[in-house]
Amino acid sequence: MGSKIGFIVNPIAGMGGRVGLKGTDGVVERAIKLGAKPVAPRKAEEMLREFISHYGGGDKIDWYTCKGKMGEDELKKIGVKEIEIVYQPSTENTTSDDTKKACKRFLKRDVDLILFCGGDGTARDIFSIVGKRIPILGIPSGVKMHSGVFGINVRATAKILHDFINQGLTIGDVEIMDLDEKLYRQGKWRIKLFGVAKGIIEPTYVQVGKTSFESVSEDEIREELSEHILDEMEQNKDCLFLMGSGGTIDYIAKKIGLENTLLGIDAVYNKKTIGKDLNEEKILQLLDKYKKTKIVLSPIGAQGFILGRGNLQLSAKVIRKIGIDNIIVVATPSKLAATPFIRVDTGDPDLDRIFAEKEFIMVVIGYRLRRIVRTQTNKF
Amino acid sequence: MKRDPTGFLKKEYKELVEKDLDWKLRVLETGSTPHAVVDGKEVIMLCSNNYLNLSNHPKLIQGAIEATKKYGAGSGSVRAIAGTMKLHVEVEKRLAKFKRREAALVYQTGFAANAGIIPQLAGKGDIIISDELNHGSIIDGVRLTKADRAIYKHRDMGELENILRDADKKYNRILIVTDGVFSMDGDIAPMDEIVKLAAEYGAMTYVDDAHGEGVIGEDGRGIGSHFGIEGKIDVEMGTFSKAYGVVGGLIAGSQDLINFAYNKSRTWLLSGSHPPAVAGAQLAAIEVLETEPQHVKKLWDNTKYFKKELESMGFDIGESETPITPVIVGESSKAKELSNRLFDEGVFALPIVYPMVARDKARIRTMMNAGLTREDLDFALEKFEKLGRQLNII
Repeated sequence: MGSKIGFIVNPIAGMGGRVGLKGTDGVVERAIKLGAKPVAPRKAEEMLREFISHYGGGDKIDWYTCKGKMGEDELKKIGVKEIEIVYQPSTENTTSDDTKKACKRFLKRDVDLILFCGGDGTARDIFSIVGKRIPILGIPSGVKMHSGVFGINVRATAKILHDFINQGLTIGDVEIMDLDEKLYRQGKWRIKLFGVAKGIIEPTYVQVGKTSFESVSEDEIREELSEHILDEMEQNKDCLFLMGSGGTIDYIAKKIGLENTLLGIDAVYNKKTIGKDLNEEKILQLLDKYKKTKIVLSPIGAQGFILGRGNLQLSAKVIRKIGIDNIIVVATPSKLAATPFIRVDTGDPDLDRIFAEKEFIMVVIGYRLRRIVRTQTNKF
Repeated sequence: MKRDPTGFLKKEYKELVEKDLDWKLRVLETGSTPHAVVDGKEVIMLCSNNYLNLSNHPKLIQGAIEATKKYGAGSGSVRAIAGTMKLHVEVEKRLAKFKRREAALVYQTGFAANAGIIPQLAGKGDIIISDELNHGSIIDGVRLTKADRAIYKHRDMGELENILRDADKKYNRILIVTDGVFSMDGDIAPMDEIVKLAAEYGAMTYVDDAHGEGVIGEDGRGIGSHFGIEGKIDVEMGTFSKAYGVVGGLIAGSQDLINFAYNKSRTWLLSGSHPPAVAGAQLAAIEVLETEPQHVKKLWDNTKYFKKELESMGFDIGESETPITPVIVGESSKAKELSNRLFDEGVFALPIVYPMVARDKARIRTMMNAGLTREDLDFALEKFEKLGRQLNII
């Protein structure tokens, strides 16, 4: 039996980019008026073509998709005949509601993977329905693509899909990120962490014999990271620990036996949570009280941000007070493999520069095991 | 609940078999000879570590026989209690002289050397800095320590220096560990630069020269001699099981190192010492290396010829600088198929596939042998060319 892939295209994704809008969420008509052209259908077709021509492989897949330009058209164009239509949008101009409804159908069909073409908004819509039940893979074609579900480009996405079907890549946590609309309406463009979904990642291998390797699950590695942080806490009893946001930190905190806020910053002292989901003000108050503080952070998504994406509470003021040498960065090797640089975007150019001038940072990738990663400014 | 105490044995083995990750052992019906009979088939051996064919050298065989006749089949004890024979001491003296170091120590195996001494060289408050492609036995040795660990990108001296700079302020002892010759690609660690960097930061250096001893350097003296930095590497670790043609691990360095090592290495202290036959053959191997330079020369002549011919056929043979020559073919399935078909045609060389190497860099790893004749090499090359064309590799 083949893999069951739910395929969905957000036909309007990416249209805002060329005309200077931050996405097409809620502003489609304006985008069209400004002369925006559809991007996603072309990207989706390109990726499918790449997949079929390089890997054949199409016959190993049972395709589930939506009527017309939400998926069916693209599959037909590249010659896939056996398609099951699970959803039909009611109007010509599709909305996020259509994406969500289609995902409900995918859930019912028990698909192995949802392959979508869109941006952060689309990823968020899918995540809001499927949560961590089905892994998600994104063909990048939106304006904002900060989430960890996307392949780097069309070609890489085709390869990931192929490897997923044939070689059993592992499923791991990836962050769903999107614009913070509340701040955006106040004129600030900030990216927020919305949740942790399941994505496809390269497994980590350890050598078990001269020429044989065994893959290690992400959880085993995160357990090692937990032990490492627990050691740090035990060796620094007089130290306040701030636990960052995201799936890796959440796992570590829970393993240590702490309550933890997945999308927020918590404070820990003596292995006990003393503050939950703190804002900047509360963190600053704590910093006045405790002399020594360390922050545990994990890079968000492949872009490698440890500050400024999803954790604005950790403001420049907070970081300056703690000192950048007291940042402990943790990441699983598979995540780090997709993260060439560690970046910060603190909103304070001087602090960002100090960080970039460090040139590198030691990232904890296992129990007492570190790897060097280059730092870069947020300009890219 | 009554548990099934041994059920996991069958279950986990089955899982390995299903994933095709189990070892299918090939059985040699001859010695490890250039022409060997493997699973009933005569093949040209291109995957043994017996680089100089010393395992079949008359002097080594004689050394083993004589030592057995004189001292018996076993040694009777661990080295530390009653298992140190004059012969063992003699091997260590001769080895130190050959490696031009103050002293040497022989371990039961190469693995026992790495797993025994590395954990003693660094502990809590120290750091071990390791090349990302280091051999599994180093990794296991490192795992036994309480030291912090940092990994640098393969042969990347920039990363190594950055880690040293960072570690300088934070740790007491710093130990840099690397393979000398990397066994998958056949490339060599830039030991001269490592030694220089180490001196700058007061770090200790440790090289696992298993694939370099008997192969590189003057008359096969190893990586120190290769880079002209003899005596400057703090711990030169190696093995008697590859070019030397016998079995056993070794370290060479200062007398202080050796005194420390045999008092502290648990693997050394807690395993029985080598039987006289092994020590006798080891002694003969060193003597052959000292007095018969033709073997190392033949190994390199063969290597150069084999590489040149493969390259002119259009094969991608990577960046190897040693008798390990990878023949890169691409997809894993292709490497496996080429290996199987080579075997059918009488050439024994193993495929190395993902995840040992990148997904698109699957390869056949060949290891040269001084015992192969030009005719043997031509035979193997002809098969490579024929199958390479059939499989659209060249």
